[in-house]
Amino acid sequence: MKEGSWLVWTGIKRGIQGGIKRFAKGQFAGFISFLILWEVFHLLLNTHTVPSPLETLVYIVKVPGVLLLHCGASLLRVMAAIGISLLIGVPAGILMGVNETCKRLLSPLLYFIYPMPKIAFLPIFMLLFGLGNTSKIILMIWIIIFQMILSVRDGVEQIPPSYFKVMDSFCATAGQRYRYLILPAILPQIFSGLRISIGITLASLFFAENYAAVYGIGYYILSAWSKMDYVEMFGGILVIGLVGVLLFNLLDLLERLSVPRGTNPRKKNP
Amino acid sequence: MKKDFISMDQVSVDFDRQQVLKGVNLTLEQGISYALIGKSGSGKTTILNLVAGFLKPDEGTVSIHGVKVQRPRRETAFLFQELGLLPWQTVAEAVAMPLKLRGQKKGIDMLVAELLHKLGLEKHGNKYPQELSGGEQQRVALARTLIGEPDLILMDEPTSALDATTKEELQGLIRWEQQKRQATLLFVTHDVEEAVILGQYILILKEDGRIVQLENPYYFTENAREQLGFYEECIKLRGMIKMEKDV
Repeated sequence: MKEGSWLVWTGIKRGIQGGIKRFAKGQFAGFISFLILWEVFHLLLNTHTVPSPLETLVYIVKVPGVLLLHCGASLLRVMAAIGISLLIGVPAGILMGVNETCKRLLSPLLYFIYPMPKIAFLPIFMLLFGLGNTSKIILMIWIIIFQMILSVRDGVEQIPPSYFKVMDSFCATAGQRYRYLILPAILPQIFSGLRISIGITLASLFFAENYAAVYGIGYYILSAWSKMDYVEMFGGILVIGLVGVLLFNLLDLLERLSVPRGTNPRKKNP
Repeated sequence: MKKDFISMDQVSVDFDRQQVLKGVNLTLEQGISYALIGKSGSGKTTILNLVAGFLKPDEGTVSIHGVKVQRPRRETAFLFQELGLLPWQTVAEAVAMPLKLRGQKKGIDMLVAELLHKLGLEKHGNKYPQELSGGEQQRVALARTLIGEPDLILMDEPTSALDATTKEELQGLIRWEQQKRQATLLFVTHDVEEAVILGQYILILKEDGRIVQLENPYYFTENAREQLGFYEECIKLRGMIKMEKDV
């Protein structure tokens, strides 16, 4: 095996091992505490609206195939929305960070749209893009893209001017500036933007999948809600939470592998 | 007779309607080291920025080898006061960067290893800047400056953030590398002692834009700091900086 690929493989292996260890140590304990708290609530309220965690877990184990199918459909939508948001948001954020005119022109627009309740635009998207997946994905993009653009723009703006001067002194071309300076500098911001985006998109599934959907965890929760089947509903909610944990851990692993130790808040210096 | 390498002709620079440099004339020869000293705000760093090509004069011309400086040139290297070491680059990556930016593909690792060894950084190749001491960081920045074999090295207060011992060590290193490479060195400093240690010529920038050029009698002297008269020379220079008109 070549030295490079061996190093990459060792890195991945260490990342996975580290991830499992951390999960076992921290997140599993967190999950158990959450279940205990839930059980306490269930006992205190003594209502069928809040089922016991054990009952919910047993339900999840009973219907794993159905839940996986719904999760898969939702994940595809989430991934498409995040991928497209990255493709548009990162270049737009960089442009606003490096170009003062673009920043002056676009920032007020961004600040205006950012705090708006994006869900309110759902009827417009339904009208424009139909009831299928397109309108659902566009709604999610609409919700997360501004956060992404602002994170990247701020990341570019935080690069010390002396770094640009260093690149200028070595006669770096525009492409080299992006490769050696701007992209490595904003990687942590991209990851933090992604982390926020994942949380928001998972939460928005409930709205995005509440119409003309047959598969999707948002649809699954809403359908259970309308049937007043609270065990099924809480099963769906729990699964969304677990998907979140999985995605966040995957993102942490990716960050650990791609962001150099020097700028990576998740890698401690020895 | 050596030819003029850098020449500044009637250079004036304004910042926000405030004149920073007024009619500056300066001629520097190749392979010599020059220390540029003067009062704060007299425009020393502006001169470095003009020669580096970061700044264009409002009046007059700056030329290197008779060619007007319009933008940074590959043969000029700049050691910044803030160093500008990118935190995501290891020492080896930082030192290799100038060569990669030139499009060089072969022999980079060997050149980097050689230079790191010369500057005593061979054990730090895989470390990140924040894992190094101030003196080590300064040496990395110096290595990055030297790797491209520049014919002109510009330095803005190269040792200002260092303790006395590290400062002396780095000054020795800069002096050795400049003499060995026969590169022209133009550096700005507030430290008159540093000017006498590193500068073959000392340029005092006056407030009226004139530059007084003095030959440094201690430049070729071993252990200059221990020589009789070294500190008197420093005191004389400090006095000349303070004076409006030179004597």
